[in-house]
This record gives sequence, C-alpha cells and structure tokens, in this order.
Amino acid sequence: MSARDFSQMSNTELLRAEREIARQHLDRFPWFSVAWAFVNFGTWLVLWPLVFFTGFPLWAAFLIATLNISLSYLPSHEAQHDIIARPGSRLRWLNELVGHMSIIPMVLPFRAARLTHLEHHKNCNHDELDPDVSTRARGPLHAVWRSIQNRQPRADAAYNAYAACLQRIGRTDVILDSVIYQIVFYTILIALAWSGYAIEAALIWWLPRHIALTYIQYYLSWAPHHPGDMTERYGNTRSFRAILGNIGSMGMQYHIVHHLHPRIPLMRTGPAYWDMKPILEARGCDVKDL
Amino acid sequence: MLTFVKMIFRFGPLLFGIGFLAPLSAQVISTTNWTPPLGVSPLTIGLVFGGMYGLLAQIRGRWV
Repeated sequence: MSARDFSQMSNTELLRAEREIARQHLDRFPWFSVAWAFVNFGTWLVLWPLVFFTGFPLWAAFLIATLNISLSYLPSHEAQHDIIARPGSRLRWLNELVGHMSIIPMVLPFRAARLTHLEHHKNCNHDELDPDVSTRARGPLHAVWRSIQNRQPRADAAYNAYAACLQRIGRTDVILDSVIYQIVFYTILIALAWSGYAIEAALIWWLPRHIALTYIQYYLSWAPHHPGDMTERYGNTRSFRAILGNIGSMGMQYHIVHHLHPRIPLMRTGPAYWDMKPILEARGCDVKDL
Repeated sequence: MLTFVKMIFRFGPLLFGIGFLAPLSAQVISTTNWTPPLGVSPLTIGLVFGGMYGLLAQIRGRWV
C-alpha cells in the first residue's frame, strides 16, 4: 500500500494497520540481546583479573571496558519492557537476571531503571514528569555538555532526577537500591585506589562509565527525542540518520517504533520501521531523515 | 545509620577527592617517573590535589 493510500485513511484505520504491522514483529524471543548481556558483562568482569594478574595492556582494557559499559544498557532495556519474558512466564527469571546483571557496570539498579524508564514512556518530553527531559539540548555538542553537567554533584537531573521521579510515584523504597549501588561502587573504587590499583580502577570502570553514560544518553535519549518539544504519541520521538550508522547508534535510528510499540525487540525495530514508515508519514511523524 | 549515610552523600565530592583522586594522582605521578620537588612524596601531592579539587567541587556543587 502506498503512502498516498495511507493518507486517505482515518485515524482508526491507521491505528489498526499500525498494530497489524507491530503484531508481526512482537513476541519473538530476543536471543541476541540475551547472549549480548552475558557476553558483554562476562567480558567486562574478565578484564579485571586479566589486567591484575596477566599483564594485559591497560590501554586495551580501557577501550574494551568503554565498549562493554556502552553496550550494557540495551539488554536491560529489553528486560525493563518484559520483552525477554513476561511476568508469570517460565523464563521470567531470565528477564530479571538480564535486567539486573547487564547494568551493574553502569551502577544503575534495575528496579530504578525500569520504573523511571516507564515514566519516561508515559510522559515523554514532559517538562516536569519525564525523568529524562534533562537531556534536551540545542544540538549534538550541547547534548554532550548537558550529559556531563547533569551528572554533577548538585545537578537536579540524571540520577538525581530519577530519585525525584521515584519519590513522585511513591516508590521511595527503590531509592535505597541506588544508595546501596552508589556506596558499593565508590567503596570498591576507593579500596582499589588505596591498594595500589587506582589507575586500573579509573580506566576499567570510572572513566569508561562516564564516557558510556554520555554516549548512551546521547543516542538513547537526546537524538531520538530531539528537539523534544512535543509530548504527543506521534510527535515525541523521531527517526534520524546517525553519523555512526545503525550499529554505532545501537539501533536508535528506529527508536520511534520502540516508543509506539515498546514490546517490539530491539532487533526488530528496524524492519518494523520500514514496514510502518508510510503510516508514520501519514501520521505526520518526523521521519524525513531516514 | 541513616545519618551516617546522609553524611557520606553530603560530603561525596570531598570524600571522592581524598579517597580516589588523591591515590590516583599519586599513582599517575609514580607511573610517569616524575619526582616532585623538595622531596615531597607523590601521595602528598595527590592528597593536596585531590583534597583541593574535592573541596572545590564540594563548594561549587560541580566538578566541571
């Protein structure tokens, strides 16, 4: 069916057609994301004994760790949306395991990530209610700068905004997870530093984590929602052409499909986007770049 | 316990400066084989740098 045909359809017909396409990409077990979670986390863990006991070059460990931590969020993101296994299903434990495990290097507790991310979906681009709205920026360089600024001790954004969000939705119990994660993280860093492994701690965890957080916030939060001035279902997210390509942007070029149908696995958002594009155009979505 | 945890977070930048940046600076100095003047040890330099930078971040509320 051509874009012209879709433009003749009513909103109800468009929604029906959109859901029909989404259904074709739903309920596929995300093997790749599950394998990705274990391989990625395992590689990051192995770096420590490799560097400490085998003389593995620290510069190489730094590059690998930066890649590992940059790649740590998306498997957990699949779990946050119950894509690996829904509540009550046989593999639910795997969903929760991947969710918790894969974002340990980011020092981000799964329960906090899930609750705040679902709030982001409910209130996308809302000035007060979207916990990720602080990534809004004028352009790419400003987005990087905002990401760094948002992580400063007294910033009211990023992880601090997550605490405020959890408070707002009445889940102050989950803030404790974040407090424990932070204390454990800094205790490990300080213990390693005073044991003579400060440079190793800095280059395998502390600095890679900061680089990864900037990269993740750029591609997962800023780029797909830029300019971030619309809250409507068909206006709050866009498709875009990333300089680093689809793999380099971790599939976020098609993030609009994820916001419309959050249970479509990451690996299916690209094909779903191309199937859905005429409908998105008929809806007036910002899909002109891709 | 809660008061103690709040205290840790309240003085986070200062603690990070002394607890992490100080030994990190000292080990960077040692790795580069730079000998600080006047017989000052790398750890002393690290503690001065980490402590000052941490204190500055503590007061300003930001590192950069």
